[in-house]
Amino acid sequence: MKTTIKALEQAARCQQVQLENGMTVLVKPMEGYRDVHVICGARFGSGDCSFEMDGVKHTLPAGVAHFLEHKMFESEEGDAFSQYAAVGASANAYTSFDKTCYLFSTTCGVDQALDILLKLVSRAYFTKETVEKEQGIIGQEIKMYDDSPEWRMMFALLQSMYHQHPVREDIAGTVESIAQITPEMLYDCVKAFYSPANLVIAAAGNITMEQVLDAIERAQLPREKPNVKKIAPQEPQGIACKHREITMSLSKPMLGVGYKEQPTTQENQLKTALMCDMLSELVCGAMTPFYRELYDSGLAGADFSGEFLCVENALCFMFCGETDHPRQVHQKLQQEIDRLRREGVDEELFNLCKNQMYGGLVCELDSTSGMAGALCAAELKGYTLYEEMNTLVEMKVEDINAALQQMLREENSVSVVIYPEKEEEADE
Amino acid sequence: MKRIQLEQNAYLNILPAEKFNRCRITVQLRYEASREKATACALLPFLMERGYADCPDPTALSCRLAQLYGATLSADATASGACRSLTVSVDGIQQRFALHEECLAEEYARLALGTVFRPAFKEGMFDAGEIEIEKKKLAEELAGEINDKRLYCLRQARRKFFGKHPAGIERIGYLDEVEGLTAQKVTEAWHWMVENSHVEVFCSGLDEEQAAELVRKELQAVKRNPAPLPEMDAMPVQEPCEYLETMDMVQAKLCLLFTVADFDPVTELSAMRVAMAVLGGSPTSRLFVNVREKQSLCYYCSASFNSYGGMMCIDSGIEPENAKTAQQAILNEWNWLKENLPTEQEMEDARRFILNSLAAVGDSISAQENWYIGQLWRNSTESPQEVHQQLLEVTPQQVQEMMKKFHFSVAYLLTKEELADENNH
Repeated sequence: MKTTIKALEQAARCQQVQLENGMTVLVKPMEGYRDVHVICGARFGSGDCSFEMDGVKHTLPAGVAHFLEHKMFESEEGDAFSQYAAVGASANAYTSFDKTCYLFSTTCGVDQALDILLKLVSRAYFTKETVEKEQGIIGQEIKMYDDSPEWRMMFALLQSMYHQHPVREDIAGTVESIAQITPEMLYDCVKAFYSPANLVIAAAGNITMEQVLDAIERAQLPREKPNVKKIAPQEPQGIACKHREITMSLSKPMLGVGYKEQPTTQENQLKTALMCDMLSELVCGAMTPFYRELYDSGLAGADFSGEFLCVENALCFMFCGETDHPRQVHQKLQQEIDRLRREGVDEELFNLCKNQMYGGLVCELDSTSGMAGALCAAELKGYTLYEEMNTLVEMKVEDINAALQQMLREENSVSVVIYPEKEEEADE
Repeated sequence: MKRIQLEQNAYLNILPAEKFNRCRITVQLRYEASREKATACALLPFLMERGYADCPDPTALSCRLAQLYGATLSADATASGACRSLTVSVDGIQQRFALHEECLAEEYARLALGTVFRPAFKEGMFDAGEIEIEKKKLAEELAGEINDKRLYCLRQARRKFFGKHPAGIERIGYLDEVEGLTAQKVTEAWHWMVENSHVEVFCSGLDEEQAAELVRKELQAVKRNPAPLPEMDAMPVQEPCEYLETMDMVQAKLCLLFTVADFDPVTELSAMRVAMAVLGGSPTSRLFVNVREKQSLCYYCSASFNSYGGMMCIDSGIEPENAKTAQQAILNEWNWLKENLPTEQEMEDARRFILNSLAAVGDSISAQENWYIGQLWRNSTESPQEVHQQLLEVTPQQVQEMMKKFHFSVAYLLTKEELADENNH
């Protein structure tokens, strides 16, 4: 056990520096690796659509964080993708509800790639023409996601659960909402959310802290810390819409069941997230007799599973999967949750679930991308990887049973069914 | 990679894993595609993921994997030209992270080998009830291919491209044959597969001798008489055919397939890798820069070469209204490279992109395994380091030569209904 704890500490610990400008830098040198993966995360996601800066209130249309993610790659000297490619690095970026991340992977030209990354997040360049061009490109991306049943399901569930919270809007916005974006609006967002104090840099692989700090020094990042206050959305209690049905081109119906929960506090976020993850698995994970019943009876496919979303002022579960019998599966799901609440969770299953999650965390840390991604995500949420592992190891079945008394209540649930086109009148 | 022959057409391949937090074992059965047995073979991975002789109950198997710290067991059917393979992998944390000092690696090996060589038979056959359950899942998967529009377009294009050639035999079987599968047919398919397959076992982080002993023991217990695998055979050159299919969708998908003539995978693969990166396999490629970025005709547009099937594929997501223009723009880039030499800058960017990916292969337990799985299909054991030098020597003339080897065969457009007439191919 002692050896294991040491191995774990070695795997999860990293070097951390908090710079004067407020930026957090995390570096995990990984012996024997040739690859380097670096992520720069900004605390700005699609959920941040209202803020106050220097006394002025700003309201953003849906999709600004994602739009900005695309535009930050452009500079007066051309686009950063080409610059990364010129030094041999592969780059990417993504936006979620609560963060925007810019990353690169490379086995050569690490210092130059770091310079490109830091310039990308600190020197914005937008014109009316480039903004208009991007509106067309992102419009295509939005349309691509419109053809994905899983994506449509997720937002249909979020829109059914939430009245006002921005998680109900597609991360990329809509063709109409992004048409409202202007260069000035983007510059305001950069000023508010891309100051060093709002950024985290996480690097893993064949790299040292010295290399990262030298690059930050070269980048001469701005020192000012704007006075920014995010304005939390006023989300009423209760759900917005109990049941929705939509149609699209797919082979069989898809059921989604969402549960809107009380948002958690910052200090409880880590434990709550781990408990929600575990609950999703304990309700309908592959180890449960309930999953086997659904699968073997043909009621649901192997993809039937649960996940959760935990961001500022919003916490919810979403259970989704294909089924020809959406009403029956929905009913059985609620019955199983009520049974678990009544009888308590099987302790053996709980321990297996804990084991499984522990293994998942260990495995995540053995690639440079997994390590840098995990370091950055944890820091943006306000905890360390070691705390995450410890919180998991210390979790007890009583915690889960207590959470079940509050969570996954029928009165807070919504359902969505996506029917194949022209087959709304299914067999039920 | 250390390669050890265990018996005729059965090998153990040992890969390094010291730096990883996990270890992995993959057992692969490689066999010649059979039209007659395609659907029965496609059902085997479904049955194998349910359990095996030592752990026949699916829920008990899931619990066993969770007990092994969330180890994953996956069974897949894959295609390589006119060959098919059944691949079973078990992946989990290394011993040093175990909380109770369990012997994890050995257990992973037993699970993977048992899954392939000792199915959960009842009276010498797969269980009829379980066959019925998994038949439904296979049928759903086959019917559900339209859910992923990009993949569906690719598959439809491949069907037109390969026609009745063995390379076109469906990896996941045929929907109209699922109903007719019986326990006897599926059991016979398993026996046939084990008897006729070439066995490749890949071990990362397992003791070599222990792994060899476990594999030998399994092989001794089954009847084996492996047949030679067919060589790569490109499709003949044909007049380009264009196809159009409509459905309710927002973004259209366009897939262009080209056959290759006189290609030698042993001597020309490095040149082909660079050629693909120049045309459409990298962020500096002509398709990415010119068609996607400058002309804004595609949301994605990339080119890849399948060396086992002798086929280049360019797939793209486009505005339905732009289908014709996008197709022409893509073909223009290919034609340009047939008539002109890529610039030194293009060559340098492409090489750098590939070399960077190549250098990172050893940093991922599954990437290094995938590398050698691919290499062995081409009867090669060259490491990424060995290929590195060859890539540095590729010239612009060779890239042009590679482009000239392709012949445009199939265009498949999947688009929304109201635009069918405008785009009628």
